[in-house]
Amino acid sequence: MAKRIIYPLYQLGNPQLRIFRPTFNLTLVRPGKEQPPDTVQFRIPMEMTKFDVRNYLEKIYSVPVAAVRTRIQYCTNKKRNHLNQRVKRPDYKVAYVQLTQQQTFQFPDIFPEKDKKHEEGSVEEMQEKFMEDERQRQKPDPRRGGVTEWFGL
Amino acid sequence: MASCSRLPLHPFLCSVSVRLACNRNVQVEASTAKSLYPPILPSRTAKSKSAKRRVVTEHFEQLRSCTAQEKIRALTRVQRKKYVIYPQTFALNADRWYQHYTKTAFLNGLPEKYDPAPAVDESVLSEARDVVCSSILQQHWHAMKGRTFTQKEQEQLVSPFLRNAVCGLKNLLAKENPVLSLSSLDFDPQVSYYWLRAERTIPEGHRRGRVEPMRFQIEDKPHSQIRIPHQLPQFVPLEAEISAEVPIITLAPDLLPLFRRQYDNNIFIGAKLEDPCCYGHTQFHVVPERFRRDKMSKRGLSDQVELSLRASAIASLFAWTGAQAMYQGFWSEEDVSRPFVSQAVITDGQFFSFFCYQLNTLALSPRADCNNSRKNVCWGTESIQLYERITDGDIVGLNDTVLRLLLQFLLNNAQC
Repeated sequence: MAKRIIYPLYQLGNPQLRIFRPTFNLTLVRPGKEQPPDTVQFRIPMEMTKFDVRNYLEKIYSVPVAAVRTRIQYCTNKKRNHLNQRVKRPDYKVAYVQLTQQQTFQFPDIFPEKDKKHEEGSVEEMQEKFMEDERQRQKPDPRRGGVTEWFGL
Repeated sequence: MASCSRLPLHPFLCSVSVRLACNRNVQVEASTAKSLYPPILPSRTAKSKSAKRRVVTEHFEQLRSCTAQEKIRALTRVQRKKYVIYPQTFALNADRWYQHYTKTAFLNGLPEKYDPAPAVDESVLSEARDVVCSSILQQHWHAMKGRTFTQKEQEQLVSPFLRNAVCGLKNLLAKENPVLSLSSLDFDPQVSYYWLRAERTIPEGHRRGRVEPMRFQIEDKPHSQIRIPHQLPQFVPLEAEISAEVPIITLAPDLLPLFRRQYDNNIFIGAKLEDPCCYGHTQFHVVPERFRRDKMSKRGLSDQVELSLRASAIASLFAWTGAQAMYQGFWSEEDVSRPFVSQAVITDGQFFSFFCYQLNTLALSPRADCNNSRKNVCWGTESIQLYERITDGDIVGLNDTVLRLLLQFLLNNAQC
């Protein structure tokens, strides 16, 4: 719901606590290990709980959530900087969200491979052609069948 | 031409007449002659893969000649971390994963024996109806007397009803089905089974990079079960073609989620090996509190109710039939020669689901599974309501189909 805030204590009869503008932000990440098709992986702030994740996704983004599992990833405090002080990489919490009704989610390919084709007559194309010629000159003679120059006259 | 030293010498040694000394078909003689040297085998003590294979093969050969008790002890002696499978699980779509781990194909509906339902005697049906109705009304009266804690409702209300119903029906049908009079009815038995399935590469540790099989253990506590001294007849032949496929899951079990623990590897059907009632008949399960329909729908998981029932049935019945087969001396290298059959009824008080299971193969370990075309089969129904609601002293909408199916399940005879 909100970071760095002490929530009002609940006593019997109090109204439901409602937060209208949470200060949390979720990050959808590509899973490092292969996950089942209905599982989505998020990096969430440490103060969030499973119920917070479920309410966040259902109320703000209207994504039906079947199950949420979380874990905390501890990051190293072993690295040292140039002053020999230990530098901590910050920890983060990961949430695995499973969607209802057999829905699947595949993390999209954000950086697709592009074939670089320069336009005709440009400087880059001439440079590319020159580099290609150089590489061709460096290769050994194909008529020698893989035998190095060491053998022979 | 081969040199004379390759020719066998015994015809010359034991020949009677001079004519026999000259044998034209010397090549045939050479091939059928007894070799002078023992067969070349890989070492037993070297640090090599062929040595390991030879040791394993010899150990399995030696196991084949042991009794069932010794086989079970040898296969479950070494403790290592294993995945513990709970039949009633909160995991989503668990039935596909469990089908993969137990190599089970699931078929909707019941086998041809029960579909279409054979006729049941009307007098027996009416008596059974009385028994079930009195159990339901008794449970209802206790529920009306005072509500218990929410988490204990199933335990306090549904378990006694099922206990009374099962007892009453079993005693009623003992004269129809003689095998029931010889059977043993257990309450809260412990059923467990331990087996090896697919392989995995160890990611970290001193054994990193090596391939080892994954170990699984099922621990189950059904509400009650009936064990009989003879085996139930099979539903389909052992090598029959089954239309459904076993789903294949390439992901690690940790993603289900399944958790690993290390403790005693148990294989138990509910009674020890020497018990004469060593074959299973029917198991009765009560759906736990957490997986009741209303609570699942409050969490938005109404479609998971059927799947979780299916997963529970597959796991429980596989464990029971597998343990029965191990008690008879079958294991992964010695596959079952006859199918093991069991039935289960899962209920939450109002809804009943019926499941039949046939175990065709126990060879699930990586070594035995490479050329194993058999698969286990599970038939299951959707959950059917037994009654619609209960008013004071009366049950509205009692479903006869459920009663008939229940009676047929209990009347399943070993001889016919």
